[in-house]
Amino acid sequence: MHGRPRKSATPVDENASALKAAKIRSLQSQFLQNHHNNIYTKEAQEINAKLIESNPEFMTAWNYRKLAFEHNLSNQSEVDKEDADHIKLIIDEELRVVENALRKNFKSYGAWHHRKWVISKGNSSTERELRLLNLFQKQDTRNFHAWNYRRFIAGLKDISDEKELQFTTDMINDNFSNYSAWHNRSVLLSHLLEKKVEGYFPKEIFLKEEYELVRNAVFTDPDDQSGWFYHLWLLDQTIKVDMPNLVSSWPPNGSEITNTTFPIVLFFNEPVEGVNLQTVSVQVEDDIFKNIAWSPLSANKFKCGQAWLTHLTIPFGETNSSKIFQVKIRSEYSQGIISSNGVPCSQHWSIAFRVSVCHDFQPEGQSLRRILMTDENFSTVDINSNVMDLFKSYFELASDYEQPTSSKWKSEMIASEIDQYRELLSWAECKIGKLTLARLLMANDAIGTPVAPNTTHVEEVLKLYSELMELDPTHYQYYKDEYSLVFLKQVASSKESLMKYCRQYKESTSSNITGPMCLRLNSLSLSRIGSFERLLWVQSLDLSHNQLPSIEGLEALQLLSCLNLSHNKIGSFMALDPLRFLKSLRVLNISYNEIGAHTVDTRRYLCSSPLSHTLDYDKKFEEFAAGDEKVVNFWEAYSVFGGLDIMQLDVVGNVAADERFKLFLVKLLPALKWLDGEEVH
Amino acid sequence: MADDGDLLCRSHADRGLEDQLFDRERHIRYLEMNYQILPSPYESQEINHLTLAYFIISGFHILHALDRIDREAVIDWILSLQAHPKNEAELNNGQFYGFHGSRSSQFQSVGNGVSVPNNSHLASTYCALAILKTVDYDFSLIDSSSISKSMKHLQQSDGSFMPIHTGAETDLRFVYCAAVISSLLDNWSGIDKEKAKNYILSCQSYDGGFGLIPGQESHGGATYCAVASLRLMGFIEDDLVSKCTSSCILDVPLLLDWCLQRQAVDGGFQGRPNKISDTCYAFWVGGVLKILGANKFLNERTLREFLLTCQSEYGGFSKFPRQLPDLYHSYYGFTAFSMLQETGVNSLNIELGISTIHHTNI
Repeated sequence: MHGRPRKSATPVDENASALKAAKIRSLQSQFLQNHHNNIYTKEAQEINAKLIESNPEFMTAWNYRKLAFEHNLSNQSEVDKEDADHIKLIIDEELRVVENALRKNFKSYGAWHHRKWVISKGNSSTERELRLLNLFQKQDTRNFHAWNYRRFIAGLKDISDEKELQFTTDMINDNFSNYSAWHNRSVLLSHLLEKKVEGYFPKEIFLKEEYELVRNAVFTDPDDQSGWFYHLWLLDQTIKVDMPNLVSSWPPNGSEITNTTFPIVLFFNEPVEGVNLQTVSVQVEDDIFKNIAWSPLSANKFKCGQAWLTHLTIPFGETNSSKIFQVKIRSEYSQGIISSNGVPCSQHWSIAFRVSVCHDFQPEGQSLRRILMTDENFSTVDINSNVMDLFKSYFELASDYEQPTSSKWKSEMIASEIDQYRELLSWAECKIGKLTLARLLMANDAIGTPVAPNTTHVEEVLKLYSELMELDPTHYQYYKDEYSLVFLKQVASSKESLMKYCRQYKESTSSNITGPMCLRLNSLSLSRIGSFERLLWVQSLDLSHNQLPSIEGLEALQLLSCLNLSHNKIGSFMALDPLRFLKSLRVLNISYNEIGAHTVDTRRYLCSSPLSHTLDYDKKFEEFAAGDEKVVNFWEAYSVFGGLDIMQLDVVGNVAADERFKLFLVKLLPALKWLDGEEVH
Repeated sequence: MADDGDLLCRSHADRGLEDQLFDRERHIRYLEMNYQILPSPYESQEINHLTLAYFIISGFHILHALDRIDREAVIDWILSLQAHPKNEAELNNGQFYGFHGSRSSQFQSVGNGVSVPNNSHLASTYCALAILKTVDYDFSLIDSSSISKSMKHLQQSDGSFMPIHTGAETDLRFVYCAAVISSLLDNWSGIDKEKAKNYILSCQSYDGGFGLIPGQESHGGATYCAVASLRLMGFIEDDLVSKCTSSCILDVPLLLDWCLQRQAVDGGFQGRPNKISDTCYAFWVGGVLKILGANKFLNERTLREFLLTCQSEYGGFSKFPRQLPDLYHSYYGFTAFSMLQETGVNSLNIELGISTIHHTNI
């Protein structure tokens, strides 16, 4: 039966259809004739009305009606002009045509738009519009045109948000699956909160009632999505920190460092803009430095960044060969630091640390031995050794910044929600319920003490995500990502938990490149990484044998000089983009990943390319890649590694790493001493 | 006997499953039928003629069957729908000079000095250019500057676009059309990208999805328009999920959450929470996931199964399972199978909504 026409129409059908087509054609040509000649007689308008009834999507026909409407209003006799009833008649007729069109097609954009246009002319009854809406919204409760129109009418006629809120309550009581009603509720409550309307401000007043309302819905049918989504909004409203603030820095407050040139990193709780000379001052002894340039550490081209970077060089001469400098970094004008949604920072902070200058530093890696990050090169950290000093100062003093205090009502509200949903899960097997509980538990831990993280519920959250991975294999990867982030939060939460993952380099390996200690987060099946604000001190990092497709956020670790990413799921050089910002990086292992194993997306017409010259060092590219058809892979590698001084690199075990590519790398990285375990000459 | 009956039923059911393959040949025939003569249910849609043509011609291309059309005739017909300003000065008269949706919305010149109304529409212009791109027409032959220059008049102060200069609703659909038009013409002078970006961002709802206008409930189609436009304008990169979620201008985790929740238990995608699965959202929402680099999170097996229940025995796809097919849902059924990497189907440029497979950039 292949290729059979869709339906063998009966002669009657065909006749009816042909008639209908002829009728529409005739109406259409008459209408266009009228439109063209600016004819707005009663007959002409009736033809138009008929056409619109049979095809409400005809934009030109609606626009003709607008012209006709204006013509009708301006061509009234002087007597009529005085007569409000007459104007009302014209408007009524217009609204009647729209209503008929809407009955024909309730989703007609053109019809709804025309109605808005007519109503905006004034002189119409709010009551009638609401009556019509109530009628339509009962018939089709999810129609977004009607909901949009409702919000439009409420705005135009100054209907109070409270009154509209009551309408959503009624709709929800009718049917709590109606997500459109929940949505409008969130919109209205946001207005009420913004305008600080009595009874809705501060927000804890209404949040409690809203939690109860949504609980009724969710407990009645835990598999219904609507309430859960609304719950997500409520949770966000509850825990939202209302402004950006500084959460950590390098160097940390109260620390002592020994390099004379070093990076300064400011890490905020969310991406911000406006970190500059006016907003942040850098003072060495009594001098305020005026030649400081801050830049956001992020992989995209926007001005916002969660971490901000500058470099400082302590000026010292032969005369003061051994001296301690006091450095102070302070918020001068914190309102100038603004979150991506425009909220200014109002927290004041100040970071003070010392730089001790001594002359006996070793020249860097003239004869670099190959550095290996395997078990036999490490020993457990000797807690009494001096490698611990900096580490200690970081965790003991980092909590000195003034942090906004969290209100008691938040913890109480969330604690009560946790109880409720634990109860729900005791009798209902519900995926989204588990996910919500996991989020509630994390929120509970987060609002306690923002600097020294509370990990009371981490174990329970990890268990929930493990269960979800089994229950809902489709979204396995998503839960696994969340699991990884929570796990890392736990690892980074305290000195003690971090120590479990730190290893000391043995004497034979240790150098000024590796630093004395390595954070070993290998073989943990991590699929995402995070908690960078707690890891700014890391110089040597082992992330091998995980399942990472990307290293987003790693650019914040400005001290990083040794990085092992072997045996992960890195799929392209572009996924290594954060490395561009790690100017201290000397040793890198990206062996046994999937670079080059996936087809390259050749549609990158908007990404940086050799032709767009977006990098400061990209002009040299042509000479490197001359005449090679694999130019895309090479360009990507070039854009990541081109500005780095890598001395030891492992790329073996990637499809892209063929002999020609290795030659390219040797040419690209003049400081390279070791490539895939072989010495470069 | 009872056992036999059961056995019979089961073998019948099994055969049913085996038959469930993407039937490319039949889909091509369905398109051919629509290409030759537009079926009667579409007669009231004459004004959207170009859009219907877009579904058919781009559909052929996705199905690897572009040889079924008369390329020259298609090109001539499309070019005949373009509105041209009489002179350079007219480009500043506030009108939009793009493409008309069909012959009837294009007033025939009467030659008596009366100005001929211009009904160029953004959606028709998008479809016209998409078709021309699909048939690999040489874009240097198109008068692109008058399109771009006059398109500027359609952008509103809030950044949104009106589709037609004589006035109509403004929303994300037309921001998307303007972005595709600019991208296809490789001329961004007709759009204030910064304003458009701000409008798009103002449409993101608390749940992560986008509404067509600010304050509207999140919707699959609107979310596609938002994300695809941002991608076309270069405000977001490919594969966001594995790259720059924290510094991105969008709330990516929330958006991802919303999109993933749109795959319903039957495997299909819904356009909004608690609505039933509909073929076209496999593209609208699935496309967003693909742009974000998150299509690995969706259940491809059950999506395929759902889509096949909407595959018509006459070729084409229907909106809901076991209904009659229509061009719109057929097209988005094809695009969905393209994203599922069905063999014999051309791959898609998600943001543009067409296959650009014969255009390699390198």
